[in-house]
Amino acid sequence: MRLSFDDGTLLLEDAPEAVPYAEWDDRVGEHRAQAQHYRPIRKWATESDGQVTLEESTATVDEIEDDARAYSDFYLTPSVAIEPREYQQDALSAWQDNGRQGSVILPTGSGKTFLAVQAIADAGVSTLVVVPTIDLMNQWHATLTNAFGDQLPDGVGVLGGGSHNIADITVTTYDSAYRYINEYGDQFGLLVVDEVHHLPAPTYQQIPEMTIAPYRLGLTATYERADGAHEELEDLLGTVVYREAVDELAGEYLSEYETIHLQVELTDEERTTYDEEYQIYRDYVDSHDFELWKENGYQEFLKRTSYDPQGRRALIAKQRAENIARTAEKKLDTLDNLLKRHYNDRTIIFTANNEFAYEISQEFVVPCITHQTETDERTEILERFRTGEYSMLATSQVLDEGIDVPSANVGIILSGSASKRQYAQRLGRILRPTDDRQPARLYEIIAEDTVETYVSEQRRQGVAANADS
Amino acid sequence: MLTANLARSRTHEDTITPLFIDASEQQYRETAEELIQIFEAHLGEPKGDLEDTIDQLTIADTDYKVVQGLAKLLKDECEFETVAPVEPHEIRQRLFEKANESYPIVRQPTLGEDTQKLEVYSSVADALGITLEECHQGMYADLEEHKRLVRFGHRVSDECQDAAESSTTTQLTGDSEESYAADTITPDWLLTRYNLALAQAVLYDATEMRVRVWDSFATVFSYVKLFGLMHRIYPIDSNGNRVGSTDAADGYEAILDGAASLFSKSRKYGIRMANFLPALPLCDRWEMEADILDDGGGSTTQTLSFALDDTDDLSSHYAAQSDFDSDVERTLAQKWERANTDWELIREDDVLDLGAEVMLPDFAIEHSDGRRVIFEIVGFWTPEYLAEKLAKIREANRDNLIVAVSERLDCSSADFDGMDDRVLWFKSGIHVYDVVELAEEYAIEAFSAE
Repeated sequence: MRLSFDDGTLLLEDAPEAVPYAEWDDRVGEHRAQAQHYRPIRKWATESDGQVTLEESTATVDEIEDDARAYSDFYLTPSVAIEPREYQQDALSAWQDNGRQGSVILPTGSGKTFLAVQAIADAGVSTLVVVPTIDLMNQWHATLTNAFGDQLPDGVGVLGGGSHNIADITVTTYDSAYRYINEYGDQFGLLVVDEVHHLPAPTYQQIPEMTIAPYRLGLTATYERADGAHEELEDLLGTVVYREAVDELAGEYLSEYETIHLQVELTDEERTTYDEEYQIYRDYVDSHDFELWKENGYQEFLKRTSYDPQGRRALIAKQRAENIARTAEKKLDTLDNLLKRHYNDRTIIFTANNEFAYEISQEFVVPCITHQTETDERTEILERFRTGEYSMLATSQVLDEGIDVPSANVGIILSGSASKRQYAQRLGRILRPTDDRQPARLYEIIAEDTVETYVSEQRRQGVAANADS
Repeated sequence: MLTANLARSRTHEDTITPLFIDASEQQYRETAEELIQIFEAHLGEPKGDLEDTIDQLTIADTDYKVVQGLAKLLKDECEFETVAPVEPHEIRQRLFEKANESYPIVRQPTLGEDTQKLEVYSSVADALGITLEECHQGMYADLEEHKRLVRFGHRVSDECQDAAESSTTTQLTGDSEESYAADTITPDWLLTRYNLALAQAVLYDATEMRVRVWDSFATVFSYVKLFGLMHRIYPIDSNGNRVGSTDAADGYEAILDGAASLFSKSRKYGIRMANFLPALPLCDRWEMEADILDDGGGSTTQTLSFALDDTDDLSSHYAAQSDFDSDVERTLAQKWERANTDWELIREDDVLDLGAEVMLPDFAIEHSDGRRVIFEIVGFWTPEYLAEKLAKIREANRDNLIVAVSERLDCSSADFDGMDDRVLWFKSGIHVYDVVELAEEYAIEAFSAE
C-alpha cells in the first residue's frame, strides 16, 4: 500500500479492501481517506493486533510506502525561561497522556500561548498554528519568534495578511488555512488551533480534516457553543483534556489602573458638518419607525439601505458623522498635552481607524501598528517597545481577543467601538504600573455632544456595574 | 473576479440565478464609461484617491454593488506600486529611533521644544540623502492607499514606465496567464466581463459542477486540469444522453469536483469551478449545471441548482487551445485535405478518461461506412513528456488506437509492447496513405453508415 497526500486527502494506492476510514474513489480507481485519518491508518497498517510491528510479516499490509508525510522532526528549547505555572504543567501532561491530542480550556489571560510553546517543544515536529484573526496571527508570530526564532533558520512562517511564507513553525488565520490547507496539510505534524470554538463550521472544519498532523491541540476560554457544535471538535482534534475555571485565576493577573475621561469640543466646521450629517440620518430613521434600540431594528435599517437610495444616503451620513467624532481635530490637541506630561512613560495610544493612527504616527513621530502593518514589522515594533527602545506606540483596533502586548503604564483611547467585551479586554491586558508608587493610567478622549458620548457611557457600564454614570 | 460581497443573485425556490445586467442599457454604459475614465485619470495617483473617487459615485446609489463590482473588475487590470526614493520601512524605522531620543514631540510647543519634529525629520532626510518632503511622504508610501496606480490595462503611468515593464503580472484571482491578452478596456468589454463575473460569483459556493460540451474538448479539459478539478467523464450523443463508447460520442459530459468531495459536499472547490467557468463559452455548444450550497442566513443549509448554457450570451476572455499542437500535425492535416481518400481526419474528437487524467488523442479517422480509429502522434518533445505520453497510451488500452512515432525519439517498439504493429515510425513528416493503411487494418465499426 502506498500512502500519499493528494489535494487535502490521503490517496491509498493498492490498499486492501479492509483498509479502515477509506472510501473507494471511482474517479481514480483507488481508495481515498480524509487526511485526518493518517495516524490511525498508519497504525492499522503497521501493527495489526496492536503488537506486531512493520518489520514483521504478520502485519496487515505487507509493505507500506509512506509518501504522505512531509513534515520534519526537530528539537527546540523555548528560549523564554519562564517556569510553567502549575496548571499549565498539568494541562500539558494531560495532553501528552491523551496521545498529544485534544483541547485545553483556559481563561483569557492565563497564558494559552505559553502552553502552546511548551507543546510545540514537546511534540518536536513541524507545527501549524491556526488563529481567527490577523491580529492574533501577528501576536502569535511575535511570541513564537521570541521563543524559537533564533533556533529556526527561516524564522517563524506566516500565511495570511499578504504574507505567504511556510516554515517549520507557521502561523496562519482560519481563512488562509481553509484556503491553502489542501496544499500544506502534509507539512505539519502538530496542529494548534487557537480560539477553537470558532472551528466547527462547514468551511473551517476542513482545516483539521485536510491535515495529516497526528498531534493536535485546541485552545479556548469558551469551549461550549450555544448550538452544541463543539461536540464535533472531538472528532477533529480530540477530547477536552484539561479545563481550568475562570475564578480560580481571577485577581492574580488583573492590574490596577485609574481612568480619566476627557471631553473635547468639535471645531465650528466639524460641528456644522456633524450636525448636518447626523440630522440626515436621524430624519431618515425617525420617519421610518425603526426600533433602533432593538437589535433587529438596526438590522432592518441596514437592509433598507440596500434598496432605498435615501436609506443609503442616511447610512453614509451616519458613518460620516461618526468619523468626524472619532477624528475630531481637538483630540489631537488634548493628545498633545498628554504627551507633554507623559513623555517619560510607556504610552500606548489607541485609535479606532487606521488613518487616524497614521496621522498620529506622522504628526508625533510615534511607531504605529494597524491591520496593514506586516507581521515582521509588527513583531519588530512590539519587540522594541518591550525592550524600551521605543517608549510610545500608536495602534488602531489591533488588540482584540486574547492578545497579550508588552505592558505600558499609560493608555490613551482616542476612540473605540461600543463593544463592551473588547473594551474590557483591551484595558486589562496592557496596563501595569511601572513602579509601585504610581498607578497605571488610562485616558479616554471623546468628542462632546456626539454619539461617542453615549457609546462611552455604555462602555463604562459594561466594564464596571458600579461606575458613577 | 468579484469578491463574495459584490455578488448579485436571486433565489427562487431551489434555483439560483445571477442578476445579469443588460449591457445595452444606457445607465450601465454610462457608469462603465465614467469608471473607465476615472481609472485613466488616476494613472500615477495614489490608490486611496482612486477609491475615494469611486466611493463618491455610490453615495446615493443603491446600485453601489454594480458600481463597486465594475470597479473591482477594473482594479484587476491594474497594477499598484510603492513609489519612494528609499524603502519606507527604513525611513520610518530611522524616524522612530531618532524620535525616541527627542520626545516630547508635540504640535503646540512650549519654549525650547518647538523644533523637535522638524529636527527629527530633517536629520533623517539628510542621513538618507532625500528631501524633507520625500522623507515625510515616503515614510508610509508602502501603505495600500498610498501605492500609485502605475498600470491600467495597457496604459502605463509615464513616470513609472520602467518599473511597470520589468514586473510580471500575476493575477491573484487565478485568471490564467494566457488570458492576460487584455484587449483595450471599453464599456462593452467591462459589461461583458461583469456578467461573467456574476456567474462566477455564484459558483464560489458550488459543491459539484456538471458540464456538457459538444466541441472544443481539448480546450475544456486543459482548463479542468489547470484549475485542479477532478472529473468523471461520460460520452454523450447530440441530445445529451450517455452512450457506451467514445467512438459513438458526439460530445462529453463531465462531472467536476475535488479530491475531498468524496467524503462530503465541500464548497472548497467552488473557487476552482468559478475559475473554470470562462472556459465553457469557448465552446459553440455547452451546458452547465452546478449544485450551490446555501446557508440562507440560518443554520440549515440547502442545495440550490444553478444552470447556464450557450444561450446565456456569456463570452470568455480565456484563450482557446490553438488548432494544432505542432507543425507535424498541421502539415498532416494540410496533406489530408489534398489527398484522395474516403477517410476523414477529425481533430481531437475523443476524450479518454484515465482516472486522474484525460487523454485527448490528436485525431480520429472516420470512414463514411462507420469504421473508425483514433490516432495519436508522438512527435518531438522532452523525455518527461515522452514518458507521460507512453504511459497514457498504454493506460488507454484501446484496440483502435494507432500511433505515429518520430524515429528521432529515444524509444523503440519495446515501448509499445503488445501494440507495436499499430505503430507508424516517421522521419520528418507523416504520409497520409501510411496512416490510411493502418486505419484500414485496425478500425472498428463505431456507428452504422447513414
